[in-house]
Amino acid sequence: MTHVSLSVGRTSAAEFAAAQAAVEYSHVSFAYSADRPPAVENITLRVEVGERLGILGPNGGGKSTLVKLTLGLLEAQTGDIRVFGESPKQARSHRLIGYVPQKSHAELAFPLSARQIVELTLASGQSPLSPLSREGAVAAARALEVVGASEFQDRPIGKLSGGQFQRIAIARAIVMQPKLLLLDEPTVGIDVAGQKQFADLLERLSRELKLTIIVVSHDIRTIAAGCDRVACLARTLHSHGTPQGLTPAVLAEVFRHDMASIFGDLHVDAHSAKSCTDPAHKHGSPT
Amino acid sequence: MSTWSLLTGDSAELFWPPMIAGLAVAIMCAWLSVFVVLKRLSFIGQGISHAAFGGLGVAAMLGLLNASNASFGLSLWQFIVVLIFCIGSAVLIGQLSRRSSTHADTAIGIILVASMALGAVLLNLAHKKGLASGFSMESVLFGNLLAVAWADAWISLSVAALVVAILVYFRRPLILYAFDEQVAISLGIRTRFMQLLLLTLLAITTVTAMKLAGVILATAMLVLPGAAALVLSDRSRTVIVLSFTFAVIGVAAGLILSFETDWPPGPSIVLSQCGVYTVSRLVSRVSH
Repeated sequence: MTHVSLSVGRTSAAEFAAAQAAVEYSHVSFAYSADRPPAVENITLRVEVGERLGILGPNGGGKSTLVKLTLGLLEAQTGDIRVFGESPKQARSHRLIGYVPQKSHAELAFPLSARQIVELTLASGQSPLSPLSREGAVAAARALEVVGASEFQDRPIGKLSGGQFQRIAIARAIVMQPKLLLLDEPTVGIDVAGQKQFADLLERLSRELKLTIIVVSHDIRTIAAGCDRVACLARTLHSHGTPQGLTPAVLAEVFRHDMASIFGDLHVDAHSAKSCTDPAHKHGSPT
Repeated sequence: MSTWSLLTGDSAELFWPPMIAGLAVAIMCAWLSVFVVLKRLSFIGQGISHAAFGGLGVAAMLGLLNASNASFGLSLWQFIVVLIFCIGSAVLIGQLSRRSSTHADTAIGIILVASMALGAVLLNLAHKKGLASGFSMESVLFGNLLAVAWADAWISLSVAALVVAILVYFRRPLILYAFDEQVAISLGIRTRFMQLLLLTLLAITTVTAMKLAGVILATAMLVLPGAAALVLSDRSRTVIVLSFTFAVIGVAAGLILSFETDWPPGPSIVLSQCGVYTVSRLVSRVSH
């Protein structure tokens, strides 16, 4: 399979209309084992085509689980997920989803340049013995250009800054011409200036490539700056609306466990909270 | 014994089989050692090589270690039995370490000692029954130049060709798997298969290197060339070329050292490769 350009021409307008939502979660619940509370519970959410949705939540709030469910790496025990009308596994095998994981998962000592990483990703769908075609090399160069990485494309990945590596990770994802771009904690280890550039990049990708984008993060700045809509997740969905709707009350509700670890008095509340998902709080007794 | 007289005299028969077998192993190690270092598989390699001890015990009980009736067929069967044992151990380590209840190092530790114990018991039994005549524990542990015959050299060359062909065929998914497993999964790459493939190739290379370098030191050949190359470069082609050069230099120098000094070949090769690694570090320090 060779990708020539990065245009979003794979699906007709009629198909878009038929599929309606880019991603649709319907009453999705998942628990890692029967004796543990669900990691995510009764999630119902609709992500429109071309939308930039931020999923904001604390550590342990079920964000990574939702990412794995969306990628089809886990299967929901109840409820259903549709990605452009397909099951997550089908969507993944049809390469509809471009996935950008946390930087920490990559082995940065690998002796590869940024360009080689993108080209390798593109060539992974080709016959093992055929070299990367000229069109493939052009598509890889275009992906690097779109994310603003052309000037450091030949630099070894181990020598890239956090923000530069993030751009390469996005180039690697979009070179496969996905319809959905799924980013997991994309701004970890990136400074404030880098986060601003990242938000601009998301806006540009959405505008130029008409991509649907889901950003999962615990960082309020990342979500608020780069997304049209925000869904707050702490095992269950607490609220969803515009970034301007992230009021102190909403944030206090979503991040109550994180805040409880800093402010002891709130910790007491966390133990009695119905939505408590932290196993460390399981045996605590409210006082 | 002088190496030059071995090269030119009637005793060349003693020199070339281990040299050819060693260079075949060097070719495999040059490629694989980069993955071993970057995927942090050196301890798994240790587990697999020690599992070979158990495989040798089984081969001894089957009468495949009798030096008195050495032949190509016997060498090949010996190789196959030990290889099956090592691949089985590699798969077991892979399966155990994928379960959250068992860490990889625990799984390796268990397989390593179990195989060593089984091998020691079976080799002892085989000696008592006269099934492993002329087979010393020292040569199992540290290698033996005289144990490497032409049959072993041809087997090593064939195996090297096979391993390199597999690596070339699977190079893209293997690199993507080793670089970032999560992204590889999202691209539809069968990462479990890639892990199994890598462990199997490690097992094959270790068993091929075993007669020459011994059970204890075989895996050093799988670590040092790649480690030395990665110290000097972060460019893929340069790393592969350097790793290949260092592997060949280490094996050739080690074997010549072994012939000249009458040291066991395993330690001689490993000391040569450690020397190459030390020089690489010094060069890296000077140039930065």
